[in-house]
Amino acid sequence: MSEAKALQLKAEGNRCFQQGDYVGAEGFYSKAIIANPKNAIFYTNRANARLKLQLWDAAISDCHEALALAEKNMKAEFYLSQALLPLGDYDGAVQAAMRAHRLCVESGERERASLSAITALVLRCKKERWDHKEKTRKREGQYFEEEMVGLLSREKAKAVEGAEGEGEKRELASEWDAKISELRNVFEKSRAKDEQRREVPDWAIDDISFGIMVDPVITKTGKSYERASIMEHLHRHPSDPLTREPLVPSELRPNLALKQACEEFLDENGWAVDW
Amino acid sequence: MTSFASKRLAKELSKLKNGLPPGIDLISADNFEEWLMDIRVLDDNPIYRGEVYRLKFRFSPQYPIEPPEVTFIKQSDRPIPTHPHIYSNGIICLDLLGSQGWSPVQNVETVCMSLQSMLTGNSKNERPPGDEEFVRSNRKRPRDIDFYYDDNTV
Repeated sequence: MSEAKALQLKAEGNRCFQQGDYVGAEGFYSKAIIANPKNAIFYTNRANARLKLQLWDAAISDCHEALALAEKNMKAEFYLSQALLPLGDYDGAVQAAMRAHRLCVESGERERASLSAITALVLRCKKERWDHKEKTRKREGQYFEEEMVGLLSREKAKAVEGAEGEGEKRELASEWDAKISELRNVFEKSRAKDEQRREVPDWAIDDISFGIMVDPVITKTGKSYERASIMEHLHRHPSDPLTREPLVPSELRPNLALKQACEEFLDENGWAVDW
Repeated sequence: MTSFASKRLAKELSKLKNGLPPGIDLISADNFEEWLMDIRVLDDNPIYRGEVYRLKFRFSPQYPIEPPEVTFIKQSDRPIPTHPHIYSNGIICLDLLGSQGWSPVQNVETVCMSLQSMLTGNSKNERPPGDEEFVRSNRKRPRDIDFYYDDNTV
């Protein structure tokens, strides 16, 4: 089949996609791939349709096909990340989202419109990774608490059994009960501490999106913004948001130290994505 | 991008709920399209003493890249403040709110503070020149009006 035929099938697929017919779109993209298996766009388009259909594994294999055809493929990384996330591969999702982000930045103005969505995806992946870690940690904490309480209860039973006389038994029982309640207290206090450490430092916040910064860039005035936000602003208005002096994207510099600080903060405080 | 504006507004709202500067109050913010705020001046400026003014903020999906539309609205106990840059229909002529003067680092709170100090600093108990004619004939949205920000003394 001809290349033209394949492109026509892709166009049909796009039409279905636009109308929300993702099953139809998936079918046309599959036909396009049969007609020409060497066009990466057919795979990324099908991956997007499969994301809508929640066919995560199938979407992942499409992304891998696309990446095998062309290594630097922003869309393939973007969709790959979104498919890995619901499967619980949080590290993979974060890494794919960050590769998509880097490719997007390298493409400059051409992909400016995608930068906000990709930045948001990086944050979402990090948030979900943190949520998952927290859940695991909390569950382990609970198991540990129950295990410890069980241990103390057994010790208590042993001690009470070995004691002579009702008076001594009662005394020992209340001693051990006090120990158990103290142990519960200690766990409870550490849980309460978790709840209250919810303060987002201003230095991590982008003054345009009010979100935690993923890729802070610094302007001549020394102020840093999220790259996606300031690029959106400069597209409309090539001026510094604070001073209104002329400012163009090529004058922005990555703020690497701040980027690292934000990353470290977010690793410990994933909740801050939705502060 | 819609989610951009709503995410930012959600965060602004949680900040506003944690406390506002004196003389500024949040009245309603039930969605991410329109909020109502009350402001009053804090000093004894005789033009505004004892009055509270209601502001309506309207946000586009491009907020804060694009400015919000901010107007005073009239109610029985909320008059339109008299000021040489405020028309009697509530439309405000302030460069900060125009597409040239707006900056995305501004927010609802800073806009309220700017308007508060614009009132505080005013000593002319008058409407903009041509107020009656403007109020009668204007059918444009505030952002589509070309104001001249020539007089920075008031």
